[in-house]
Amino acid sequence: MPYREKVAWLSLAAILVTYGPYFTLIATGIVPTRPFPDFRQLALFGATTFVQLVILGTGRLILAVSTPREDRTPPDERDLAISRLSTVSAYNLLIGGMILVGVIMPFTSRGWDIVHAALFTIIASEVIRFGVTVFSYRRQA
Amino acid sequence: MTKLVEGFISNRIRAHRFLNGEMSQAELGQRIGLTRQTIAAIEAGKYSPTLETAFRIAQVFNVPLSEVFRWDTKPTT
Repeated sequence: MPYREKVAWLSLAAILVTYGPYFTLIATGIVPTRPFPDFRQLALFGATTFVQLVILGTGRLILAVSTPREDRTPPDERDLAISRLSTVSAYNLLIGGMILVGVIMPFTSRGWDIVHAALFTIIASEVIRFGVTVFSYRRQA
Repeated sequence: MTKLVEGFISNRIRAHRFLNGEMSQAELGQRIGLTRQTIAAIEAGKYSPTLETAFRIAQVFNVPLSEVFRWDTKPTT
């Protein structure tokens, strides 16, 4: 498995195991929102991001140690083509989500709903980016 | 609506690697700046290289481009 595919799997897994539960808690209303500053919401977001960074940092360290140096070469043309495809896919979702969050939601929602929608759009676009990356590597493997 | 000409790129990289002293995919990749996985993907027909890379591969084997890559209209068995 190419080094970049391993990194993409790691990034995808780190997002799913952290922001998956985060948005589940938000969507089910287990953590109710209060007007800003809502320190419980901020703490939940901070903890989620911290755990994601720890998973990413540890995973990258393990990958760096366990992958031979010759497999950690600069990206070649196929890596760049996959990167372009995944970035474009993620961008399309991000721009659509941001139009919803920035242009429509201010007239229909307020406060944390807008914040969560913006966060969800960003996280979903990252899932798409890494998802398309691993799918492309698998399809061409 | 105009129908696109259908076909696919086939290659003889495996055969040329064999003819060049069983050159490994990694070695070929090193000589043209690609990873072993990308060479494997090209060889399996799952990734079409750029024209420049195709020329580089042919140059490594010291043969014309058409000896390595071909445009086919029907799947070959």
